Amino acid sequence: MNVPAHPKAPISVENIWIDTIVSDDEAVRNRSLESLCAGIDANGLLAVADRLDTFRKESDNLYHRVRAQFYLAAIYRFFLPKVFCETQTGLLEFDAYQHILHRRFNEAIDVLLVAQANDGPTLAVTSALAKAYHQIGFQTLADQVRRSVRTVRGNQWMFRIGHPSDHPLRLHKRLMEVDPHHRSFPILVERTSVRMDFSHSGWSDIFFLGMDYPEGARVVNAAINLGVYGRDEAPRPPVEAYLRVIDRPVLRLVSVDLGAEAELTEIDDIFDFAKDYLGLLKAALIASGVVPPAMEGCHRKVSELLKTLTGRADLGLEVVSQVNDIPKGSRLAVSTNLLGSLISVLMRATGQVEQLEGGLSEPERRLVTARAILGEWLGGSGGGWQDSGGIWPGIKLIHGCPATPDDPEYGISRGRLMPQHVELDLQRVSKESREKLQKSLILVYGGMAQNVGPILEMVTEKYLVRSEKEWEARLEATKILDQIIDALQDGDIRKVGELTTRNFFGPLQTIIPWCTNRFTESIIEQCRVRFGEQFWGFWMLGGMSGGGMGFLFDPSIQNIARPWLLETLVATKRAMQTRLPFAMDPVVYDFEINDRGTWSTLLTGEQAVLADGYYSIVTPKWLKRDMRELSPQTQRELLQLSSKIRLGNTSSSWLLDRILPQPPKTAEAVSNLKELLQSNGFDREQHEQIRNDLLTGRLGLSQNRLPSQTSISDVELDDVIDLRLANDSDDLKRSVDSQSSPNASSLGYSALVDGRVAVVTLAAGVGSRWTGGAGVVKGLYPFCKFNGRHRSFIELHLAKSRKISERYRTLIPHVFTTGYMTHEPMAKHLDEANRYDYPGPVYLSPGKSVGLRTVPTARDLQFFWEETSHQILDEQQQKIRAGLHIALMNWATTVGEASDYTDNVPMQCMHPVGHWYEIPNMLRNGLLHQMLSEHPQLQYLMLHNIDTLGATVNPKMLGQHIQSGSCLSFEVIGRRADDRGGGLARVDGKLRLVEGLALPREEEEFKLSFYNTLTTWIDIDQLLSLFKLKRSDLEDTELVDAGIRKLAYRLPTYITIKDVKKRWGQAQEDVFPVAQFEKLWGDMSTLPEIRCEYFAVSTMRGQQLKDPAELDGWVRDGSAAYVNSLCSW
Amino acid sequence: MKIQKALITAAGPGQNSLPLQRLVDRDGVEKSALEMIIEEVDASGIESIAIVICPGDEEPYRKAAGKYVDRITFVTQPVAKGYGDAILQTRDFVGNDSVLHLVGDHLYLSSISKRCSQQLIEVAESENCPVSAVQATRESMLPYFGTVAANRVPRHDTLYEVKRVVEKPTPTQAEQDLTVAGLRSGTYLCYFGMHVLTPSVFKVMTSIASRANRPFSLSEAMNEVASRERYLACQIQGTRYNIGVKYGLLNTQLALSLSGVDRDHILSELVEQLAVQPTLSRATGS
Repeated sequence: MNVPAHPKAPISVENIWIDTIVSDDEAVRNRSLESLCAGIDANGLLAVADRLDTFRKESDNLYHRVRAQFYLAAIYRFFLPKVFCETQTGLLEFDAYQHILHRRFNEAIDVLLVAQANDGPTLAVTSALAKAYHQIGFQTLADQVRRSVRTVRGNQWMFRIGHPSDHPLRLHKRLMEVDPHHRSFPILVERTSVRMDFSHSGWSDIFFLGMDYPEGARVVNAAINLGVYGRDEAPRPPVEAYLRVIDRPVLRLVSVDLGAEAELTEIDDIFDFAKDYLGLLKAALIASGVVPPAMEGCHRKVSELLKTLTGRADLGLEVVSQVNDIPKGSRLAVSTNLLGSLISVLMRATGQVEQLEGGLSEPERRLVTARAILGEWLGGSGGGWQDSGGIWPGIKLIHGCPATPDDPEYGISRGRLMPQHVELDLQRVSKESREKLQKSLILVYGGMAQNVGPILEMVTEKYLVRSEKEWEARLEATKILDQIIDALQDGDIRKVGELTTRNFFGPLQTIIPWCTNRFTESIIEQCRVRFGEQFWGFWMLGGMSGGGMGFLFDPSIQNIARPWLLETLVATKRAMQTRLPFAMDPVVYDFEINDRGTWSTLLTGEQAVLADGYYSIVTPKWLKRDMRELSPQTQRELLQLSSKIRLGNTSSSWLLDRILPQPPKTAEAVSNLKELLQSNGFDREQHEQIRNDLLTGRLGLSQNRLPSQTSISDVELDDVIDLRLANDSDDLKRSVDSQSSPNASSLGYSALVDGRVAVVTLAAGVGSRWTGGAGVVKGLYPFCKFNGRHRSFIELHLAKSRKISERYRTLIPHVFTTGYMTHEPMAKHLDEANRYDYPGPVYLSPGKSVGLRTVPTARDLQFFWEETSHQILDEQQQKIRAGLHIALMNWATTVGEASDYTDNVPMQCMHPVGHWYEIPNMLRNGLLHQMLSEHPQLQYLMLHNIDTLGATVNPKMLGQHIQSGSCLSFEVIGRRADDRGGGLARVDGKLRLVEGLALPREEEEFKLSFYNTLTTWIDIDQLLSLFKLKRSDLEDTELVDAGIRKLAYRLPTYITIKDVKKRWGQAQEDVFPVAQFEKLWGDMSTLPEIRCEYFAVSTMRGQQLKDPAELDGWVRDGSAAYVNSLCSW
Repeated sequence: MKIQKALITAAGPGQNSLPLQRLVDRDGVEKSALEMIIEEVDASGIESIAIVICPGDEEPYRKAAGKYVDRITFVTQPVAKGYGDAILQTRDFVGNDSVLHLVGDHLYLSSISKRCSQQLIEVAESENCPVSAVQATRESMLPYFGTVAANRVPRHDTLYEVKRVVEKPTPTQAEQDLTVAGLRSGTYLCYFGMHVLTPSVFKVMTSIASRANRPFSLSEAMNEVASRERYLACQIQGTRYNIGVKYGLLNTQLALSLSGVDRDHILSELVEQLAVQPTLSRATGS
């Protein structure tokens, strides 16, 4: 079907969409996206899109605009591609892509719409339009939240005070009163609990939801004190913020948990969040108004500011944060409550809160919350509006509020930015009910490392377009919240457990299937099996499960359940830690409800001492200096510390640990690394050569590129064999049986039936994009539920081969290539899973080459960050990223450019050397020889990437490959906006695949219609001859090695920068860019002596799933259902 | 209401010497700040004046009062117990009358022919209620002044009905509770250092003093007054000068001289200073 360039549809259809957006009638406003799209053809959808685009430009109502933008994103992403024919290839204009990267979304949309008007809709253009509309929607929402935060009364002045002399705050006099006896300044300490939510009504605490749907934005949460089971004597407020005056005119910031300390003398340094681990303290200083945001870039000294604040030129301030070792990702909003605690203590100290000691009044809590929201925005994060729940006491219902004429949001959004808190006091939830809850609920930290950000975006979008199932689920979640409140009031905790479980398995998973995972469900299952009726239910905390979670048991068995649960969590984590990313071992908490909210105390005299943890950070620095250089206050503190240690009032071991050298913990790791490198075929000589080339500039990111005079052009249609309409789901058997003359399909069918083909799935890589560099085995990641349970990538690939085997009554050998990191776990897992009862042989091909990562050169980092295109982030996040880049550049030059990267666990220091090596590895490790011995009829391999989920042994494609007589047939797909990384091109006239990093100029990629899927049909004998080998030579390792070396030498080596995570402390993670080298399979197409063919295949078959954030769209656009149809479970 | 009495407070710790500073007035005559304050009061038709001073300050104040000394009642605040207490010391002097109150560390320059105190007294007498002079003030100056939340009185451009008074508020509180319609953002109505206090104000202050055994400010008392009776704020056409802050005396002197007979002379001096300044900078190497 060809779609004309300027379609028109009946006006009424378009108006239904606009009516849906603007209507005050709920029934109309809540019409689902699916019902709106039903029965509209491509022309109709284009006409609707045209009308919506005009509407979004003209509308002055924020949410009307945003809804139109999300409708447009959904039309272009999910609906239009289904109703036009994807054989219409097209190109994406480089300008449009650049506009998107630089957040010039309107400009990008204009360019793309002109292209669409000229050429009709193509995948390239529709995918880019979907991306642009999606991002402009979120940008519009984020801008509004930012504006609202600024316009909250009590926050506005901070955006006007730009000079320290104009500062209108003064430090509380009591904080400057020196104790006459101890000669110390008092310490103001704020102790704050964290929040635990009972239900958030389907993530209705996202600002964007609350501001559009105040009626549905409802959360019940409680402030809780925490202790770690087995470690702490009793629960206590886990968050503490300390403030005191010091006798030097500097701002000293200390984070006890992160072991970080800094003395700031320049105001500009306070706005550099990425420089150290003190970003949260800096955000608190700014959001509390102590350093107003308007002072950013004022180039003044901190001492000037302090002089205005204290009235004295010789005094400074110290702020210390401490979290009671609660891991990051606890889903208890630790960081928001710490921010709130810090802001509260700073506001008390500057008189913005009336009482220096004690609790906060309701308006003050609201103000602290508003400032915490501001702080989160400044720090580049963004919590939900319930997250400051630890500031408030006890259990409360938090709900959205319609905006009234007095609110700055009035006329802009239906709801206010700030929610209302209604305490569920002892009258409503009795003391007995609370105690019963405490005896029933076991809070845990599951240990999984997670990123909730994409989930929050998915929720917002699905809400705004009213996706049918999700909207119904949201309404159900709202009802469940009411029932939870009723059950709490009735003291029926068992009922609470039933409801939270129903919430988790019902509405929450309907809205976001990704809020659950194999780990969580396994624990729930084990609880059910072990405790039966006495297991009362599961409780998801925060945005997703796997981190902070709750399990409810009959109170009479809590003492048995608690140790059992800890043991089970740890055992399950150990069993799954190669499959799912865990940041640390699970933890079980003790908790109690905090009934007084955040609380402050002024410590004076001998009480005015900070914790040991604080001194363990600052003392080593003090001791390095001459005593006479230290300020009198510091000298006194050192003396006091010394007497305490002498008197045995405090342990000295922590001090010794900090100041004396420790036995190197990494010694073992380094020797492990050496052994691992040796046993995995590390070539030291080659490594040194690469290091030398990196340092001298012979290798590097810019050297990856082909010479600038290279001519790159797009292919002609007859350069590819168009197989986009060959349906993998068709039952070819019947049609082939009925055909008399041989054709491609029957050739493929015969080869399949004769057992002449095997599948090779590339699974040696570490899937660094999938796991964000966490170092787990992507192939084993149970990423999506099929047929009732989570399935991993390898299980899915075997299920496809099983279906083909069953359909064609044949056995397909299936090979998974593995690497140093993936081999052991995969072998173990396949054994444990009994190879998923796959009927044919399953082989593992262990890697025989490994590299050692190096610290990148500053030149490469600069090239990577500044000369290649990246998505520019939102303004504040971009500032933080820029600061981080400076810090990482310093790291690279300080540690040593191109030096070995060894400061991490060994597995994270090594790297696979590119997928080119994986077929040669099959030669080198003897697997191919074994397979050919066991299956001498084997002639063809279908090689594909682990994340190409639609790749299956299609007889028509196999037949096409056989018919063409080529050595390699590569599958390519029509390029979409996010398909970056090269493609099929004519390079100086030769048809070949070209890697994105080899293209002389970035814009060349946008000339190429087809993207390389990496799926390759291989003629085994022709391939062997390329290595100058025959089947009979495969036993001769020397011949094999020589063949591989010679060919490898002819192929380019690329330098790439990858992100690698380093874990430390309580589930903290740092991400470092590291350099590694790779040889890539696509470059086989450059060899002149072999014949290559190129098949254009459907997107469903060829697309890759690289990032968990893509999963939701992958399900919604029908890809998951399509893949499922290829499988036999 | 007829205002015939005035009280001036000059007993603040560290501030008691300020009224004794000498300046040159608009007419080019050198006199003490105290004398100028008394002139302001005198010009408004006030007959008797009380000055609250620290123990032992009477002699220098007598000297500084010049020709007005015989009309002055000196009241000593025995212990420094705050601003509110200082005013309360004049209970006997005030009796059951309304009184004009000025602070001893401020000087006032009217921008119209009527003196600042005269403007205030006229309002108090016509409205028959306590009135405080106020001035629109930038938020950076909030740490120095009492600040009012008020609604404009219909058909009056410069008159406000006070709802609340907060002593030296933080900008956070000011923005939440003390914004006044018609004022530019970040600007608040702050005390001018001049009030007309009625007997009811003294009652409130007496009551606060008896129940709160601590120093209290006039703002605290006026906040209570605002909740009990009609209390107005009047935006005065003039400027107050606080001689107690850094360069306060210099600024006050400049303002006086530039609005008086020596304007040309002072301007010439200033221009000369400005012209000399670069040479000085170079000479000192700075």
